[in-house]
Amino acid sequence: MDQVLSARALMGISLGFHIIYATIGVGLPLLLMLAEGVSLARGDDGYHDLARSWVRPAGLLFAIGAVSGTILSFELGLLWPRFMALSGPLIGLPFSMEGFAFFVEAIFLALYSYGEKRLSRRVLFLCTIPLSVAAAASAVFVISANAWMNTPAGFSVINGALAELHPFEAFANPAWAHEAVHATLAAYVATGFAVAGVYAAALLRGEASAVATRGLTLSLAVATVALPLMLVSGDWSAKTLAVQQKPKLAAMEALFRSERGAPLFLGGWPDPATRQVRYAVRIPKGLSVLLSGDPDALVEGLDAFPAGTTPDPRLVHPFFDLMVASFFIMMGPALWFWWLFWRRPEAAWGTWTLRALLLASPFGLIALESGWLVTEFGRQPWVARGMMRVTQGVTAQTGIAPVLFTFLVLYLVLTAGLLKLLLPAAKGKGADATPGGPHVES
Amino acid sequence: MWSLESLAYAVVHIGLVMYAVFGGADFGGGIWTALAWGPRAKEQRSDLFHAIGPVWETNHVWLIFVVVTLFTAFPKGFAALFTVLLVPLVLALVGINFRGAAFAFRNFGRATGGQIPFLVSTFAVASLLTPFALGITLTATASGKILWAGGQVQAAPLFWVEPFTLMGGVIAIAVCAYLTPIFMTLRSEGALQGDFRRQGMLAGAVLGVLTAAEIPVALACAPLFAARLLSWRGAFFVVLAAGMGTAALVLLWKNRFLAAQLAGSGTVALTLTGFAAAMYPDLLIGQLTLAEAAAPRATLSAFLGICLVGVFVLVPSLWFLYRTFRGEPNSQIPP
Repeated sequence: MDQVLSARALMGISLGFHIIYATIGVGLPLLLMLAEGVSLARGDDGYHDLARSWVRPAGLLFAIGAVSGTILSFELGLLWPRFMALSGPLIGLPFSMEGFAFFVEAIFLALYSYGEKRLSRRVLFLCTIPLSVAAAASAVFVISANAWMNTPAGFSVINGALAELHPFEAFANPAWAHEAVHATLAAYVATGFAVAGVYAAALLRGEASAVATRGLTLSLAVATVALPLMLVSGDWSAKTLAVQQKPKLAAMEALFRSERGAPLFLGGWPDPATRQVRYAVRIPKGLSVLLSGDPDALVEGLDAFPAGTTPDPRLVHPFFDLMVASFFIMMGPALWFWWLFWRRPEAAWGTWTLRALLLASPFGLIALESGWLVTEFGRQPWVARGMMRVTQGVTAQTGIAPVLFTFLVLYLVLTAGLLKLLLPAAKGKGADATPGGPHVES
Repeated sequence: MWSLESLAYAVVHIGLVMYAVFGGADFGGGIWTALAWGPRAKEQRSDLFHAIGPVWETNHVWLIFVVVTLFTAFPKGFAALFTVLLVPLVLALVGINFRGAAFAFRNFGRATGGQIPFLVSTFAVASLLTPFALGITLTATASGKILWAGGQVQAAPLFWVEPFTLMGGVIAIAVCAYLTPIFMTLRSEGALQGDFRRQGMLAGAVLGVLTAAEIPVALACAPLFAARLLSWRGAFFVVLAAGMGTAALVLLWKNRFLAAQLAGSGTVALTLTGFAAAMYPDLLIGQLTLAEAAAPRATLSAFLGICLVGVFVLVPSLWFLYRTFRGEPNSQIPP
């Protein structure tokens, strides 16, 4: 297997795997904090029991997140040493900040998980505050590094070497703000829907309990608050891309040719040979309107940039559509549930509402993974846009293919083990198999 | 001595010492899970298992901290090391993953019956593999076999397989196995405390013999490192480490467990400091200096500023963590 392809595949698989755990690592602390806070404010122990029932899955998922994150920090050097030698002095700083956030997360998660017999209820709740703040901060920090790869800033190049470094300008690079807001909100949506789906499944199996109803309403409330904000931050992202990263936007929208009154393609398959988007729903002037409000505004297509400097729309446009479609797949059942919850509360817990929520529940993670693929494939062929190509950043060390194979096996083993432990036991273990099961000590 | 790159190197060193002392003790928990013997082997394993639970993830973050500090402050050195040491680093990662997963699966999972022995042995083997691979990686930088010329790194494919580096791997295992029982003496009573005391003294003797034996091996395999280790600066720390190690043994023998814990941690810190003193001012011995490998000044000062802020968050949080989970290893029982 080709060296660059092996390295890209390994990095992609590692990130795609880690992102799931990182997302839940950002979302679940917020749910913990809200549940413990509501419990203290209302004197309702049901919410405390709900939060404690998350300790076991949270412990498992955080542990996998910590070790898969370690793999990534090593892979930066194992796969992309030349890129890191160039960019380490700039993107190292957000990683350093993230490191301190990891410490705070690990410390306060341990205090919350293991401290039930050694800390008061109030202190347990207080522990969830630094936990949630550090979890969100770690996402915001690390996204600065990703944003820098999209919009490198904070330096000048003199004689082929970086000079006049301004690390904090690099940290607050142009793409950081919209990426950080969009991705952190996405973590809350994805976690909220995933958790809601777990309880919808439990209720559909006939395991009605105070924990399940509280769990579903709390997690779905968080997701439903964050969901419209996704639309707003997504719009902000697209309008910023139209200024900062035009080739990525063109690939997302499958716009081959620059034109005034650019159409919006929904779905379809972009064909670079004919420069057509096949099987798409075409909304005339739609893209121009969305980006600037002016139906005749000029939007630059892929042909506006030199050949070999633009991403392949076949890898970007379908994932972009999947991300946007996921939004609507989630929004429908969520609105339906809350409408019933408000008008006819007993009907909200009906079979069809729960089925719809269960169906929508994986789409937060699906949207997050597709959005990440849009960002990464949309940056190609650059590892640092305009500065260094992916092929220039890869390691000189040969034999990446066996390493790829090793980690593939490792991820499969970890996933199989997790599924075995987290999914309800097939052979009627009953109530113990729900996420509300007791915290097993040893 | 007080240049920005020296301060950044001090941060790397502190991170390594913290990882060796705290993370090392967690790996030692896995090692002694495998080695536990005698009538109370089951109680020993149970105490080790409980002691690791609340702290291992936090202690593990020190390794990430070291890696991040390396690529931020010494990007060229980081790129060189991670290019030529791919295989031992991948082995360390495999160990880290299986150690973490096996522990979490047993602690938080519904593992029962036949699954537990499998998870325990995975945990034990992974706890040996990781320090071994990381010990090899660290000593390889002192081997003198990683060459740096014209901005390019070079090394023979299996240069890291030689007596000096393999001994480095074994010493790293011994360091882990040394700290755990000493720490556990403070967290146990009666006969169990006696077991941990004996294990600590045994492991201390083994560690002393291994580190002493590494000196003649270095003379043969890594002459530059040996010469620097035996210069006044290196020898100063070698003597201090040996003295501290002896003190730890005597304190264990006299049942002064708190003092023994401090002396044991000090021994490990001084051993690593001796290594660093012999390496200084190089990152790759004789080839790449810290100054050459370092990031520009703007990055180094920004990084040190972040660390300064981070310390004010980290120190009280760590103190709260270790204080809450002191004493009785099972967190479901008061300390």
